[in-house]
Amino acid sequence: MKAAANQLIHLDQVSKTYLMGAARVPALREVTLSIEAGEFTALTGPSGSGKSTLLNVCGLIDQPDAGSISIDGRATGQLSQKELTLIRREKIGFIFQGFNLVPVMTAFENVEYPLFLAGNAATDRRERVREVLSRVGLSELAQRRPDELSGGQRQRVAIARALVKQPRLVVADEPTANLDSATATQIIDLMHELGRSNGTTFLIATHDARVTSRCDRSIVLTDGVLQ
Amino acid sequence: MKWLWFAIKNVLRNRRRSLVTILIAAVGTTGILVGGGFALFTYTSLAEMAARDSGHLILAQRDYFKHDEDTPMQYGLDNYAALRDQIELDPRVRMALPRVQFSGLISNGDKSSIFIGAGIEPEAEFSVKGSTMRLISGGLLSPKTPSGSTPEIVLGSELAKQMKAAPGSGLTLLSTTTAGTLNALDVTVRGIVTVGVPEIDKRLVYVTLPTAQHLLLTDKASTLSVYLRETEQTEEMRGVVAALFPDHALQTWRDQAFFYAAVRELYNRIFGLLGMVIVIMVLFAVTNTLGMAVVERTREIGTLRSLGTLPAQIVRIFALEGLVLGIAGVGTGMLAAAGISVFLLFANVQMPPPPGRSEGYPLHVDFSWELYALTLVAILTLSIAAAWIVSRKAAAKPIVEALGHV
Repeated sequence: MKAAANQLIHLDQVSKTYLMGAARVPALREVTLSIEAGEFTALTGPSGSGKSTLLNVCGLIDQPDAGSISIDGRATGQLSQKELTLIRREKIGFIFQGFNLVPVMTAFENVEYPLFLAGNAATDRRERVREVLSRVGLSELAQRRPDELSGGQRQRVAIARALVKQPRLVVADEPTANLDSATATQIIDLMHELGRSNGTTFLIATHDARVTSRCDRSIVLTDGVLQ
Repeated sequence: MKWLWFAIKNVLRNRRRSLVTILIAAVGTTGILVGGGFALFTYTSLAEMAARDSGHLILAQRDYFKHDEDTPMQYGLDNYAALRDQIELDPRVRMALPRVQFSGLISNGDKSSIFIGAGIEPEAEFSVKGSTMRLISGGLLSPKTPSGSTPEIVLGSELAKQMKAAPGSGLTLLSTTTAGTLNALDVTVRGIVTVGVPEIDKRLVYVTLPTAQHLLLTDKASTLSVYLRETEQTEEMRGVVAALFPDHALQTWRDQAFFYAAVRELYNRIFGLLGMVIVIMVLFAVTNTLGMAVVERTREIGTLRSLGTLPAQIVRIFALEGLVLGIAGVGTGMLAAAGISVFLLFANVQMPPPPGRSEGYPLHVDFSWELYALTLVAILTLSIAAAWIVSRKAAAKPIVEALGHV
């Protein structure tokens, strides 16, 4: 199937099965899905429906057993681990439910890390990190370590880390699950605002109706099948 | 630099565990450096002792070292004075001393005992002996025996006890001459010395070179002992002297220092084994610390991998942590070892006499750049290797699995 011009991700008949002891548990069953560039997509479904697996294969941190995935028009099936790593480094940002910040790094260093990996010069890194931290409202807390920040502030740092390299895709797994209601709303607004201004595509697995309501599109996964 | 900074922060993450690892590496390093430094001091001391005793080079007649003599001085040097003049022209040579080696019976009139004697040039000979020979009583030999008086003799302390001799006592030396007949010589004890080895002190006799030649009825010397300004020049000068006198036999102090070779062999094994045990101990300590860190940080490894960190870069992070632990440990250990070396220089701690000797010696630990550099490289290499061993599996773990690690 030929990718449309503004299509960022295309999944074609993607299946993934996990082995749980002797039992085979299908997580994705022949999922075919296209997401447009700049689209804000919510991925919903009950627990165990395969949302995280779908995010993982879209984020290229897991590979399907069958089917194909292409990102930005590039098929990923035959790529080596190193090539997949470099695509993630360049084009994909991650926001995790548990924030997954590096505890020994300050907020500034956590956000700087993807730029450092990409080989950006120190002055460029400094400018971009300052800018993105200012946009998430954490300029004053840049030198704090994650354990010195609240849950909402940590998730802001995670969002800044995901967006600092201006990726084509941000994959977010339950980004508001560990946050109180007011903070969750702020985080959704923030992702929306930053995503829109950068033209970044968001794929967000969520149970949160507030998130779903702010997305362009909502897709539902049940027992590994796209509804 | 950023990677290194990250590694330092990670090392500081669990301070107590890192501190214990650093202390183990430091104690290990100190052990290697102090043990190795002590062995080096021992080698240097033994080498100096051996060289002072025999000379750095020993020049003799062609068959002297090959065959036993049928009669005394059969393989003696008759032109030793000319050889000596020629050798002493070289500025690297401090002096060349002729010696007459002989043996026989020594008697106080009531009792006789075997002696092993040397005819020497007293002033020069006792000056090169230095601290390896200690005067217990009386004095050393006079350069020339005053006419009309009996020749002087210096005795080993144990032999003096056997002969019930003290400075001023009269004794008789009995030895075989070059003609195969017996000759006797009355002597007066001038002094009593010890070389710190009871077995040698039991037989030791020094007389002047002319006295020994007079007793043996010869004008030859057994050997010419060549003393160099620097012991390190021994091998270089061996070539020079051998080329000068191709018709003569030549040995170095190493060829004659069986004790030195045996001790060196023994210490190399003891300290080699000790070093290996320490190195394994450090390897286990670093492996254990980083192994625990890897397990605790598996989820973090998954995060870093998802952000685009290559497995090799993950291994590099842990290798740098190993390096930081190693540097801190080795650095602390080196400072401690250097401190101990300096302390021992001034503390005058005495070691008990080694087997076969009657005198102890000061405990010193030599400083050696080579030993320090070797220890640094070994501990750092091991620390990095330990990090590589424990982190390569975690770095290659599937990202989803790593992220799901609890």
